[in-house]
Amino acid sequence: MESLGVLLLHPMNAYLEQELDSRFRLFRFWDSPPDGRAEFLRANSSAIRAVVGNAGYNADAALIDALPSLEIVASFSVGIDRVDLPKCRERGIRVTNTPDVLTDDVADLAVGLAIAALRKIPQADRYVRAGLWKAKGDYTLTTRFSGKRVAILGLGRIGLAIAKRAEAFGCSISYHSRSEKPFPNYKFFTNVVDLAANCDVLIVACSLNAETHHMVNRKVMDALGPDGVLINIGRGALVDEPELVSALLEKRLGAAGLDVFEHEPFAPEQLFSLDNVVLVPHVGSDTEETCKAMADLVLKNLEAHALNKPLLTPFSGKRVGIIGLGRIGLAIATRVEAFDCPVNYYQRTKKDCPSYTYYPSVVELAANSDILVVACPLNEQTRHIVNREVIEALVPKGLLINIGRGPHVDEPELVSALVEGRLGGAGLDVFEDEPNVPEALFALDNVVLVPHVGSGTHETRQAMADLVLGNLEAHVLKKPLLTPVV
Amino acid sequence: VVATLKLATMAAAGGKPAVLLLRPVDAPFAAALRDRFRVLDLYAPGQALPALAFVAAAAAVPEPPRATVIWGGVRVDASFLDAAPSLRCVVSTAAGLDHIDLAECARRGVAVANSGEVYSTDVADYAVGLLLDVLRRVSASERYVRRGSWAAQGDYPLGSKLGGKRVGIIGLGNIGSRIAKRLEAFGCIIHYNSRKPKDSVSYKYFPNVHELAAESDVLVVACALNKATRHIVNKDVLEALGKDGVVVNIGRGANIDEAELVIALREGKIAGAGLDVFEHEPKVPAELFSMENVVLSRHVAVLTEESRSDLRAHTIGNLEAFFSGQPLLTPVHADSLAQ
Repeated sequence: MESLGVLLLHPMNAYLEQELDSRFRLFRFWDSPPDGRAEFLRANSSAIRAVVGNAGYNADAALIDALPSLEIVASFSVGIDRVDLPKCRERGIRVTNTPDVLTDDVADLAVGLAIAALRKIPQADRYVRAGLWKAKGDYTLTTRFSGKRVAILGLGRIGLAIAKRAEAFGCSISYHSRSEKPFPNYKFFTNVVDLAANCDVLIVACSLNAETHHMVNRKVMDALGPDGVLINIGRGALVDEPELVSALLEKRLGAAGLDVFEHEPFAPEQLFSLDNVVLVPHVGSDTEETCKAMADLVLKNLEAHALNKPLLTPFSGKRVGIIGLGRIGLAIATRVEAFDCPVNYYQRTKKDCPSYTYYPSVVELAANSDILVVACPLNEQTRHIVNREVIEALVPKGLLINIGRGPHVDEPELVSALVEGRLGGAGLDVFEDEPNVPEALFALDNVVLVPHVGSGTHETRQAMADLVLGNLEAHVLKKPLLTPVV
Repeated sequence: VVATLKLATMAAAGGKPAVLLLRPVDAPFAAALRDRFRVLDLYAPGQALPALAFVAAAAAVPEPPRATVIWGGVRVDASFLDAAPSLRCVVSTAAGLDHIDLAECARRGVAVANSGEVYSTDVADYAVGLLLDVLRRVSASERYVRRGSWAAQGDYPLGSKLGGKRVGIIGLGNIGSRIAKRLEAFGCIIHYNSRKPKDSVSYKYFPNVHELAAESDVLVVACALNKATRHIVNKDVLEALGKDGVVVNIGRGANIDEAELVIALREGKIAGAGLDVFEHEPKVPAELFSMENVVLSRHVAVLTEESRSDLRAHTIGNLEAFFSGQPLLTPVHADSLAQ
């Protein structure tokens, strides 16, 4: 394998560094003095095709601009808030992270911090070490962890793992997330203030982005209250740190367990003298076992990239653009969200869905999506809604999925785009002239063709038939129709 | 004299049955007891008789107490029972039973009630907290942050993953079984030793602690202290546990041979320990203070507000059961070594 030039931004892990050095051509960012960094990058910019960063040091806009040959950012972390994602998308730079391998350790620490904060274990340890334990029966009463109402901000992989652990302590679970999840035992709250007002322990476990920055603000902390406990194992900036410090100093907030801070490695010194906080130095994934697994994942992703094989853990799913956010469109959105796919959409009027990005035209939608899905009804306005212009806008290598009607798409245009390799691929359930399917598509490996089977399950056809029969009966009996089309 | 007059006053609160109170209680507990019983209170303000003399004096009042509430500091043995022959029921609020001669009580027909499961949840939570602290270095890395070392010296050394570890629990009673349930949710594999295997659990049973230690990564002491379990974790067991092994003790200090434990830690024969109890509290071997792989606590695993109020309700429940001729809520029998 020809040597992929890899820039390691920080001496984050000895094993990782050693392996990068032996398998690739390694550049150590800290080899150059701080004022010589620009020069260092200039000198090596043609060789550096990969960057390895972590939670604290990652590929920001300035670094990406300085590296014209950059192809991939492989982060030694699951959170990639410090990677300039829009810039990566713009440059076609791939991003990988390290999900799953660290989920258990981070969840373990979250619960460990909650018990430590509530039961004041580090405080007891300090007390004993200082030689202050002079009499048996010298103690302070703390409060029980088991049975506390635990609220989780962000019910992703880590949030779910925390929930599972807390449940073993008889804790009730509530959460807030971008959308409600299929866990009937966990109570969903639509906003963070209500979540905080109805729990005893609030655990921050979501990713950091523009929407979640300072999500835990003064209002939330006030709602959590003087008996409430805040645990943060996400990112420091999810919490308004100055507000947190004053809430703790003024006893408006009961206690905190913090693994992350806004300006690591600096933790707010005003907290050092408090007995109701537990402060640890971003150790969420810091076990030998997990760090090795994370390192191996980084190395495997880089190797896959170098060999043109599929990446193991590319960050975030493909951007999915849905034409028509009706019942079917929304059902598609919920499913792809579970794959971390950002959801974009177009329809005649904007919907009140803050987590989905609205585009005022199909061309703009196509330009900002990796996969375009047709899910709207067919009528005069939507005939050939996917035309040549839209197909051109779908980024080269984009995919078209049609589960609407054949005439939604200008079929001859689609066929030539696919045959000429301008479009990345297609998945088609419907065609303009069923049951005839353009034969030119048969030879293509990047096209999936199915014979209008979208609703073709026993269960659904039965239900559809029952609806038809129900409607007919209602009509005969002069009762209201079940599903009239308005 | 003055002391006897005081006792007489206490005993005169007519109608209610007399209870001999031999431990300090907080205000809510005291009020709850006085509402229901005539309380002869060793710790009443102004009461100056030492314990055994107070017991003897209480035994001499008209309608002497038939029940007593004690804690771990009161030795219930033959001489204690001789001093108060009226006692038919001992209600202990302690977690352990090592301070009660159960055989002697049984011989005299004195019923004994313990604290049941009142503490079990909090002790189990604390055990998990201690284990996480040792493996993930919570207290140690906390010290690092508080002294400004994070900014000055960089990343803290790595800890050890809890998931997948084999946890050997010594004693699968109320506390041990709760610890097991919690740690299972973290992906641990549960092994245990107890006097007899338990059919109701699927965890792997080991007939002795040495074999348990040999096949575990973590050893949790969750058994009572008695003749059979004194120094149950000894030098051999620590060696069998091995250099990557961790010990957590929320039982009694004397369950572990403390001197051998210190040696094992000093020589790196085990990887770390989380200790809430010690052989000679409040004395803690000073050598442990400088060890980064040890978490030290001051016998507080039971001490939450919730267990306080649970204890109050439970103690009164046992007393009321006794005085109304009902079976005790949590009777202890002479042949039961644990719980």
